[in-house]
Formats: sequence, C-alpha cells, structure tokens
Amino acid sequence: MIKAATNLYTYRELITALAWKNIVVRYKQSYLGLLLAVLKPVMLMLIFTLVRSFIGIETDGTPYPILTFAALLPWIFFQESASEGINSVTSNAALIKKIYFPREVFPLTAMVTKLVELSISFFILAGLMAFYQILPTIYVLWVPLIIFYTMLIALTISFFGAAINVYYRDMSQLLPVALSLLMYGSPVIYPLSLVQQKLLNEKMAGEWSNHLYTLYTLNPLAGIIDSFQRVLLKGMAPDFNALLPGFILISILLPISYLFFKRAENWFADII
Amino acid sequence: MPIIEVKHLTKEYNLGAVTGIKDSLRHTLAKLQGKDTWQRERFKALDDVNFTIEEGEVVGIIGHNGAGKSTLLKHLANITKPTRGEVIVRGSIAPLIEVGAGVNPELTGRENIFLNGAILGIPKKVIQSKLEEIIDFSELEKFIDTPVKRYSSGMTVKLGFSIATSLDADILIIDEVLAVGDLAFQRKCFDKMEHMINHQGKTVLLVSHNIRQVERLCSRVIMIDHGKILADGNSTHVCNLFFNRSNEQIKANVENSPNSNLNKTEDLDFKSVEIFNDKHDNTDSIECLSKMNIEISFNALKPLTNICFLIGIHTPDFVFLTATNSIDETHDYAPGEHRVAMSISSMTLLPGIYSIRVWIGTPEGKVSFYADNLKSFTITSEDHLLTRQQEMGLFHLDAKWKFESTNDTANNDITS
Repeated sequence: MIKAATNLYTYRELITALAWKNIVVRYKQSYLGLLLAVLKPVMLMLIFTLVRSFIGIETDGTPYPILTFAALLPWIFFQESASEGINSVTSNAALIKKIYFPREVFPLTAMVTKLVELSISFFILAGLMAFYQILPTIYVLWVPLIIFYTMLIALTISFFGAAINVYYRDMSQLLPVALSLLMYGSPVIYPLSLVQQKLLNEKMAGEWSNHLYTLYTLNPLAGIIDSFQRVLLKGMAPDFNALLPGFILISILLPISYLFFKRAENWFADII
Repeated sequence: MPIIEVKHLTKEYNLGAVTGIKDSLRHTLAKLQGKDTWQRERFKALDDVNFTIEEGEVVGIIGHNGAGKSTLLKHLANITKPTRGEVIVRGSIAPLIEVGAGVNPELTGRENIFLNGAILGIPKKVIQSKLEEIIDFSELEKFIDTPVKRYSSGMTVKLGFSIATSLDADILIIDEVLAVGDLAFQRKCFDKMEHMINHQGKTVLLVSHNIRQVERLCSRVIMIDHGKILADGNSTHVCNLFFNRSNEQIKANVENSPNSNLNKTEDLDFKSVEIFNDKHDNTDSIECLSKMNIEISFNALKPLTNICFLIGIHTPDFVFLTATNSIDETHDYAPGEHRVAMSISSMTLLPGIYSIRVWIGTPEGKVSFYADNLKSFTITSEDHLLTRQQEMGLFHLDAKWKFESTNDTANNDITS
C-alpha cells in the first residue's frame, strides 16, 4: 500500500494527463460542456423531490431537495468512479499492450476524472444552500476527508472489478446493476435518521433491530452520505457510530483488493 | 555489468479462448480433488532464450512473422511476465512500439504531444522545452492545433514518430517504426534514428523486417525462429544467414505449390529459367567475376509479333539491381517452344544471393509475361578480397587507383 502511494506520486503527471484527456475528450464537441456533468444529480434530485411529494419522507426539518442533492453528490461520485474504474483497464487495452506503467494508474485516473465532475456539482450545491439560506459551518472542513474516504471505497471495488473484468467482461455489465440496487440500500432517497428511528428507536424488527442496523451501516456509503449531509447542511460532526462498521470492512477489503489487482496485473497484456 | 540480461526466458500462451465460468469451475473442482484435468494446448512463443546486451550496443532482432520478436520486446519492456526464466533490465527503458499507440483522435496535435509525453514518462518540462523541435520535426506546424481525427493517416504517424524520438531513456526499443510516412519522411526518421544511435551512445534494440536497415544500423543481430535464438553475432553474417533461410523457404514454397498457372498468361506459357556457368553446366551457383549464361524457355500459345525480352537481377528483398533488354532486336514467334539466352561476360555482383526477373512483351509496352523471383542463384568466391567486399555493397567495380604527390617526382600506379 505504501508502494502504491509512492507510485501515485511518481506517476502524478501521467494521471493528470490521462484524466485531463478523459475530460477533454468527453466534453470537447459538446455545447454544454462540463455542465452535462451536473445534469444527472440535478435530474435525480428533481425526480426524488417529485416522488417524495407522493409518499412523504421525514427529513428532520432540512428541505428535502437539498438533502437529497447532498446525498446524490457522494453517491454519484462513488457510483461513477467505481463503474469507470472497472472499465478503465479494458478500455485502455491499446496502451496496456504497448507500454508499461503500474496498471493502478487506470482506476486512479478514472477517479480523478470523476473528481473534477464532482467539484462542479459543488457549485450547484452552494447555489442550493444559498437559496435555502443554509450557512456553512466549521464542520465543512470534514468534506475533503469524507471525499477521500469515498475514493478508497470506489478504489476497493475498482481494483477488484477491473482485474476480473480483464478475464470476464460480465463484470462491467453486472456491477452497474448491483450498484443501482445498492442505491436503495443507501440513504440517498431517504435520510439515515429515518433508518435509525425505525430500527433503533421503534425496534421495527424486534430483537434483530440492532443487528440489522449494524448490517445496514456495513455499507460504507450509509455513513458517508449521512456524514456529508451533517457537516454541510446540519452543522454537526459526522456520526462515527454509523461510519465505523463500513470503515472496518473497507480497511480489510482494500488491501486484499489491491493485492489481487497487482497479482492479476502481470497477465493483463496477455489476456486482455 | 550487462544492461540487459535474459536468462532461460520461456513464454507460453494458452491456445483457444478464455473458458466460460462452467469450465473454469469444473477445472478448479477437479484440481482441488487432485485429479489430472484436461489441459488446453499450449504454445511456446519463446523457448529458453538466453542473451546479454552491454551498454551502448545496437542490436537488431530479426525473424519471420510469429518468430517471437515482439513477445521478446514485450518482456524487455515489462509489459508481460515470463512463464519461466528471468529478464533483468538495468536502466530506464523506452518503448517505441508501434508509434502512435497513445495518440487520441479527439485531441489536437499539440495536446497529443503532451499526452503522449506523459504516457511515455517524459516530464512535462522536458516536453515544453522540446515542443518546438517536435513540431518542427513533424512538419505539421499548420495543423498542430487541429484535432488529430482530421489528420491524414500519414500525418498521424509523423506526429507519433516525432513525439517518440524526443524520448530520453537509457534503452530504446524500436519495433517497425521506421516504415512510416512518405519516402522523404522515412529518410528523415532514418537519419534521426542513426543520429540517436551513433551520437548519443544509447543502447538500442531494433526490430524490423527491413533487413538492409537492420544490417546498416546494428552492430549485432539476433535471429529468432520459432521462439529460439538461431544466430547471434555480426550483423552482416546473421543477415545473410537470414536471407539464405528465407530464400530456402521461398524456394520450398514455390516448389510445393503445384500452381503452374502462375507462369501462364494468355499469350504464352513460361517454362523455365536456367543458369549455366562458364563450363556450360546447369547450376545455380556462379563464381564471382566469371561468365554467366541465363536461358529462358517458353511456349508461345499464339503467334507473337515484335517481341523483346528483359532479364533483371534483384536481391531477395527486391532491390532491383540491373536489367538488360533486347529492345534493339525484336522477334516474331510462331506458336511452339522457344529458347532465349543472355550471356554475361563477367558477373560483377559480389558474393551473395540474388534472384532473376523476366519480362516479355513488345517495345510499345504490351506485356505478355512478367514475373520476379523466378529463380534464385548464389554468387560465390574463394577470393578473400571479394568475399570481404560483400559487407560493403553489392557490386564489384573494376577500379584502378592512382596516387600523385607534388614533392615526389615518381608516380606510383597500383591496380586492384
């Protein structure tokens, strides 16, 4: 892992150049350009807001549109980094067959690309916050750390998925399906406080309630999305109890996933 | 210490496609139970290859298609890992494998220079300082801010080569990149490569099918066949060996193909080319500077009028050396078999392997028959002075030397 970090530094120019290429190529011949990047979260926010007006979701006083938009930012960043990351090795087959550099450059590049799109979404969020007159507090300083943690999760999935995808292309088909299912298991449409209320306070599932809640927070995105909303919109510190199970899971899985990727890397050029 | 060491390098590939999940599972299950499972057929792309390369050496790698040249380069560039054996490279390595692999059609020429620079590991500062030089070399000043997708294919390749040669690494790997662009640009690339090799003291590995180029640029050549090293040594020696082998292959191919229609046109049926030496023996080996007779025979299928002949000699890689025609003396031919002989009083080609081409037609240009590589022959010589010249060129000239000095009244004449 330390070697991976130094590699990251050595190849920073390459990662920047490749990410810059990805962005330029994607938006070069489009009129709206980078604005297209924020289209997805804005559209989803509008749809969720519309749906919510039918079914009613408790939000603890925070306006629903901005609450769900703040959930969509880390979620979409995670989802797209992971999907792109998985395809990043196979879609660069030409380079892989010609030139050697550490292959983790590709998933990392995919993520850096998405990071740029995420930063544009932040402008929309700032606009929404101004509209709803929510003032940022000192807790906003948590945001970079939360984003960094999200990147680690996306990398865990990217490394593993990208390596598998070289051998079996099923991965690039199955993962988007799995991820869109995971969205319903993450507090994107509804806030985490609702889950806490149902499971921890009302004990909806009887004696299993506490275990179910731990299982729910094993999904690292649950803690991330909740923390993101808390530090930005509610002016509160992150809820570490909700973050812990997922964090433990990721700190076990990330090294395994990385080693798996490095082992498979040797045969990429032969199989791809 | 050698800069590149290759020890017992073996690379095997599985033949066939990647198996589905069912087969993989069954395979793994059987393995777990300790049973012998079916094995996919394996193909040895490289088979126990050993060699070392010292710093500053310029080494050519030759071999027919599929011999394992590119696989070998991939191992040196760390793109793939050996099945068995070891590859040690002490120094930074720059692959020029297929120029333009990283060129993105959406980006402009200038943007591609920076992107490819990053891909090849050239720091941005270096690229910035060399930018003018790169653009200048590519001859694309006018188009450098146009997306590459609007370039012609030749322009793309020029761009790729210009970026690649701005690299600064200890070891350069060049795979078939000299054959790019039009003749003038090829010449320029060749000169640039030669400059890099001769003046920058780099270690260079060159893979090419253009054997003459390899022979000229490299001091040492490794010949690979079916994953094994067949020869390793002096470039002229190994290149000639390669020519001999590919000649044999061509001969074998011609003999194996029963397709005699190849030599049949609607005007005539070409029978044979025969070579006779000064003792009138039918042979395919001629002593250098001796007499040589070439006889062709053909069967006219219909009356042919005003016919002349051309007999030419070319090298196995189709460098046309000479051609003699009988345009001053045309003949008419009735249907039936005819023989035409051409006599060369002194064969001044230097020892080596050559081939004959024949053209039959009218002086106005109507072609009745044309084919090259019809017959191969060898020029031999016992004369040490002649065989040594083989490395210098293709022809022997009957030259005389004369030396004059103004402060000496005596003149010395030396004939060679």
